[in-house]
Amino acid sequence: MARQWGMVVDLDRCTGCEACVVACHAENNIATVGEDQAARGRAMHWMRVERYWEGNFPNVRVTYRPVFCQQCGDAPCESVCPTYASYHNPEGLNAQIYNRCIGTRYCGNACPYNVRFFNFYNPVWDKPLNLQLNPDVSVRSVGIMEKCTFCIQRIKVAEFRAQAEKRPLKDEEFNPACVQSCPPKAMVFGDLDDPTSEVSRLAQSNRSTRLLEEVGTLPNVIYLRSVS
Amino acid sequence: MERRDFLKISAVSGATAALDACGKPERQLVRFIPETDLIPGIAVWRPSVCVMCPAGCGTTVRVMEGEAEVTRHGQLGLIKMGLAKKIEGNPDHPVNHGKLCPRGQSSLQVTYHPDRIRHPLKRVGARGAGEFQEVSWEAGIQELVTRLSAMDSAPAGQGLLIVARPVRGQRRVLLENFAKALGAPPPIFYQFYEDALLRRANALSFGHAQLPTFDLAHSNYVLCFGADFLGTWNSPVAQNVAYGEMRQGRPNVRGRLVQIEPRMSATGANADQWIAAPPGSEGLIALALAQVMLAENLRPASAAGQAGALIEGWATGLKDATPEKVERKTGVPAATLRRLARELAANPPAVVIIGDAPLAQSNGLFNALAVNALNALLGSVEQPGGLTFTPAPPGMAAAQGLPAQPTSAYASLRARLGLSKPAPPSPPQLLLLDGANPVYALPDAGVKEAIAKIPFIASFGNFVDETSVFADLILPDHTPLESWMDDVPESGSLEAVASLAPPTMKPLHHTRAMPDVLLEAAQKLGGSVSKSLPWTSYEEMLRSTYAPLQKEKGSIQASSTEEFWSAARKQGGWWSSEVVAPGQRPPTVGAAARAVQEAQFAGSAEEFPFFFLPYESQQFLDGALANLPWLQEMPEVLSTVMWGSWVEINPATASRLGIEQGDLVEVSSARGSVRAPALIFPGIAPDMVAMPAGQGHEQYTRYATGRGANPFKILASVVEPETGSLAWAATRVRIARVGKGKLALFGGSLREWPREFEKR
Repeated sequence: MARQWGMVVDLDRCTGCEACVVACHAENNIATVGEDQAARGRAMHWMRVERYWEGNFPNVRVTYRPVFCQQCGDAPCESVCPTYASYHNPEGLNAQIYNRCIGTRYCGNACPYNVRFFNFYNPVWDKPLNLQLNPDVSVRSVGIMEKCTFCIQRIKVAEFRAQAEKRPLKDEEFNPACVQSCPPKAMVFGDLDDPTSEVSRLAQSNRSTRLLEEVGTLPNVIYLRSVS
Repeated sequence: MERRDFLKISAVSGATAALDACGKPERQLVRFIPETDLIPGIAVWRPSVCVMCPAGCGTTVRVMEGEAEVTRHGQLGLIKMGLAKKIEGNPDHPVNHGKLCPRGQSSLQVTYHPDRIRHPLKRVGARGAGEFQEVSWEAGIQELVTRLSAMDSAPAGQGLLIVARPVRGQRRVLLENFAKALGAPPPIFYQFYEDALLRRANALSFGHAQLPTFDLAHSNYVLCFGADFLGTWNSPVAQNVAYGEMRQGRPNVRGRLVQIEPRMSATGANADQWIAAPPGSEGLIALALAQVMLAENLRPASAAGQAGALIEGWATGLKDATPEKVERKTGVPAATLRRLARELAANPPAVVIIGDAPLAQSNGLFNALAVNALNALLGSVEQPGGLTFTPAPPGMAAAQGLPAQPTSAYASLRARLGLSKPAPPSPPQLLLLDGANPVYALPDAGVKEAIAKIPFIASFGNFVDETSVFADLILPDHTPLESWMDDVPESGSLEAVASLAPPTMKPLHHTRAMPDVLLEAAQKLGGSVSKSLPWTSYEEMLRSTYAPLQKEKGSIQASSTEEFWSAARKQGGWWSSEVVAPGQRPPTVGAAARAVQEAQFAGSAEEFPFFFLPYESQQFLDGALANLPWLQEMPEVLSTVMWGSWVEINPATASRLGIEQGDLVEVSSARGSVRAPALIFPGIAPDMVAMPAGQGHEQYTRYATGRGANPFKILASVVEPETGSLAWAATRVRIARVGKGKLALFGGSLREWPREFEKR
């Protein structure tokens, strides 16, 4: 059954608490790189919360925006990959096949959202921190590009379960880690091709926008702008 | 090749491979008998309780079979065991509703921390040198018992000092009863950002010595003075959940948020309106709003009841707090004050919040009482959409840990350590530490020396930190994931809650649960101590204290104690099915009315031109969490700084002083100075500088030691006189550029949005 996974992020609910940032690290075995590498821009945050400052004191305001892979319908990262490591999966995800990746970093350059991260070194977990690793997610080695997968391991588990129980998969029965953790419920995940899903309903909102829409990437992440 | 030759060659190469493995010690590990009946690859979820901050969220822990390197009976080996893999919010828990903040999720790394203390230790080197030797549990507990009984000769056990991180539930009751049975003063539950002052104010105004719970999901208008209630303050996850509903959870209604503070907090960044006001002026501003409402007959003065009676001049309409007079003192335009007052009155239910820095002023209690009176005037106390108080489950008031007369732990601790006058009649002979770190988090000068003077120190903590490095004996506790957990939240829930959870995994190291160690020590001490703590294990203690809840109306229907116990363990506790009934307790009457108080600051404005704000860190709170790499690398949301400290400076101030982003800046008060790189911060008043707490550890695992700067070090000992709480926002400083520093910024900028001004 064809699906188009997508997400709606309500910026009017987002409080910048960063629960999603740590949830993503914990779920996806993202390595911490340490201060020196972080200072060189090599920290790997598949999920980040951006903040935009406007105005001068005392008339300042801030807008938060969680940014992660926009799972583009027409993804610049896919067309530039010489080894087809970045490819479009049948459910509309911009998937990354680590075994094909040879680390050209073309995809990272092509991505207008800066959401692809390169492993400059082999990841290190000081023992026994390695025990925190999620066995459902592969650990990426040096020379590999990595990115948000919409927690494809959770999608697969839910699909297998639905299949085993011989019933259709309902998109509310599971969530990516960031969506699960979000305290103000700013994020909603689901099938954009299903007109009855919560995510489709929210995507119809008159507040709905897409990030850098004008670039023509057709993102499947929809932001609902904050009201003010 | 003949079959025989092939076998020969195989045998030889096999042997070589085996010999090869012998050279690599990690391949020699023995395998112990598995300690799990989990199915490989299948995850189970088990409830637990989060203790990273005092909010008391319920969690659910994903446990899977895995292989861990452990030491059993002195032998290193591999074992298959259930391992916690991820921590999420417990979906049924009334505080956090299935959600969890980044700090709670990071608590997984406490259990797997490489620098965790793995077995009991005895000091062998000089005090504070950090040289320890492994001892057996039997010897360790015996040593503790010997020291405790030797202390009996001191006048009535007065020599025992217990300092713990703030905890509630039976763990608190146990510590309190242990101290009481030995004739010692009550344990001191210390962290830097304490709430005794707000509890005192709420006791005076509303008769509840308790932190408030906000029903934001039903509020239409929220006015907040300084509290980072979506970041770190009070019960942040509960408040975030409710905030989301307030904004977009109701059709055609969107609650508004107005934040008043001199430095934009992560919460203030969400406000529809952000208003800068000088530090310490919050109470006066609240009175101006009340004055407008009274003058315009929006509400009668009597509507504020006891809370209003605590403010001088309330009954006669607060003539000294007209918007014009308050504008002259605070710089907030009278027109703005009038508008806010009218908006508050016109958008019920409305609620006013005060927390963090406005309470950490010399006039903090006055500020809190003024806001309480404004809330009472609005009719928001114990009403839907307003503020209320989480009830204690029947028979469990002691576990909620609310004294009738809240006293500042800061004041108690410095008095016990002889840092304030008069010195204690009997100086501490024996210090028991349970996760508190006063050498780092108590800002007074001389704390280290006072601690080092105590003849015997035992610590239950998981890590060697600035305080426990002085310990003579370390009896390491299990982590929460390995322990029986319980809690009775003080705030964040509209219903009574008693959380409960069994261990989610077997202990990884040779540690023991602190409550069990304490109970064993009590048995060994005998006499009145063992009589007052008759349980043989903490589990037994929990069982007996939770049993009476079976009869109460709540989340569990059970016909037998056993059935109740098993349901509570599975659910992660018990919660009442009844939402709090308003106004059960009459307010205390007869307290004197208070006149407007102005904030006093340490240091003259000429010598020290800047207010200093050492605010609670989104990553590390008061510094207790700085040992966790996930939080170190999590970019703080407004600055995007990772792995470091910084000093926030207004852009105009920075350019006047010739300071650029990343320059090393020295921040000096009359007490001392700290150095950190400058961060040009648009949301801070030109006459203020701010630093996040949490870094600057001298001794706290490989991830935190020697990183950044500790702003507590330069704080003057200004206190709020009635409660003795530290006025941590009442120090003035000067700043100077001293060189080049380094900032690790995640710098979140889309390249297509070049208006981000920071440099990378």
